[in-house]
Amino acid sequence: MSRAAIVAWNTFREAVRDRVLYNLVFFALVMIAAAILVGEISLQIEDVVIVTLGLSAISVIGLLMAVFIGVGLVSKEMDKRTLYALLAKPLRRWEFLLGKFTGLLLTLTVNMSAMAAGLFVALLYVKHTLVRSDAVVLVAVYFILLKLALVVALALLFSCYTTPLLAILFTAGLYVAGLFVGAMRNVQSDLMAPALKTFLGWLSYVLPNFSNFDVMSSAAHGRAIPGMLALQNTAYAVLYCGIVLAAAAAIFSRRNLK
Amino acid sequence: MNAVGTRSLALCAVFVVGFAGVWRLQQRIDVRLASLHQEEDDLVLRSGPMLKMISMEHAPLMADLYWTRIVQYYGDKRMRHDPNLDLLWPLLDVTTTLDPNLLPPYRFGSTFLAEPPPRGANRPDLAVELLNRGIRANPDAWRLYEDLGFVYYFNLHDTTKAGAAFLEGSRNPKALIWMKILAAKVAEQGETPETSVFLWNEIYNSATNDDVKQNALTHLRLLKAQADCNALDALIAEYTKRTGHTPTDLRELVRAGILLQVPVDPLGYPYELNTRGQAEMDPTSPLSKDQPAYQKPL
Repeated sequence: MSRAAIVAWNTFREAVRDRVLYNLVFFALVMIAAAILVGEISLQIEDVVIVTLGLSAISVIGLLMAVFIGVGLVSKEMDKRTLYALLAKPLRRWEFLLGKFTGLLLTLTVNMSAMAAGLFVALLYVKHTLVRSDAVVLVAVYFILLKLALVVALALLFSCYTTPLLAILFTAGLYVAGLFVGAMRNVQSDLMAPALKTFLGWLSYVLPNFSNFDVMSSAAHGRAIPGMLALQNTAYAVLYCGIVLAAAAAIFSRRNLK
Repeated sequence: MNAVGTRSLALCAVFVVGFAGVWRLQQRIDVRLASLHQEEDDLVLRSGPMLKMISMEHAPLMADLYWTRIVQYYGDKRMRHDPNLDLLWPLLDVTTTLDPNLLPPYRFGSTFLAEPPPRGANRPDLAVELLNRGIRANPDAWRLYEDLGFVYYFNLHDTTKAGAAFLEGSRNPKALIWMKILAAKVAEQGETPETSVFLWNEIYNSATNDDVKQNALTHLRLLKAQADCNALDALIAEYTKRTGHTPTDLRELVRAGILLQVPVDPLGYPYELNTRGQAEMDPTSPLSKDQPAYQKPL
């Protein structure tokens, strides 16, 4: 097994030991409550609300995990001084980072797979049957995973050169900004200087575009998502994660750990 | 009993007595607050685009929550017989901006808006605007054309536009065949009791919601009662012509052999004669009580 894979596996085991997967109980309770209650208090949206609530819960829970655990991936190892023991072994710093990133991604994948299964159980309870178009929900879950991979990469990058609190703020701030990239690109104002407009346009391509992964509405209404979009979003996430992890590795390699 | 047991018992007593006190106190507070109750209808954020921005990627979930709020708002108003539905349109506006593809707010919301008080906000113009917005966002949803046709027919009494809406909807390849029949019937006959019966039958047969089904059934029963009264009036005229005097009771028509028995309305209550000598429903019939709220002159 490669050195990065060993770090990844241990990161996953550590997350399980830290009872990270307990959030699944919370998710299950939310889905059960929604499945039972919505039919009583609303009108004709029982299945739609299961999908939107389920996807929102998966996104929020995943986001909290990605930001808070992602930021702690490096800082925790430094605080506990286990990083020094690790780096004394034949393990390059970039391999350590890559292993940490992959480990958290594995944790998120397991977690989200369980939540997606729970969502489908709730959907089956409400609709009594599942149809082919419900598979679009799986695509939406996959897109959330891609989004979270980007968030983990950003959290890792920030945690390489600043304090955990600031890293959380930077990651959260960039996430929110990344949701409005489209608005930034298409901003219309006669008062704005052309140079600023151009700058915003460029900035909108530099910032991670999280709205690419937002297909919740399509999933809720059973509208098919083009396969090409899934491919393009995968390529976007891989490329962007690669850039951010390369930057993180460069910073971490130069960091004085004494 | 040892000290630990005594302490546990005392703790249990504190819990029971304490929460009983909280329960009683809360009831009194509720009474006090009810006396201070004011109209609490409020919608802090009326801008759909602003709410959509704040909701970030969770806008579809927010739309579901807003739709649930609309259902609760409308239901609460109906139960309290409060005709003020001023917030209905802003709530529907926000909901459909948050998720333009959510169909129930267009379909049920247009009914809530179009129906006269106490069943709705008496704003068929806004219902038309809402449905047109829904059609623009969901051109494949042929049911929205059907709803638009119903609003034009029943609420705005515009048979030309109703027929056009049914016809436009029928062009959708997914539309059921009877959309063409609706279009043809409305275009051919205009606003007649027969057309109304036909349309309410379609609503009754296609509705999946119990309230909508019940509403259609009440309309159908009232239309049947109206048709019965019209037929009875014709028989009364014949009796008057034959005997030279106006009957004071429908049993006179039975005795004259014009009727086999005194006919009953769809709920089983016998028809009566009013002071002008015309047939009408028994005032104690639940259908008669529904009539002012449901039936509009044709």
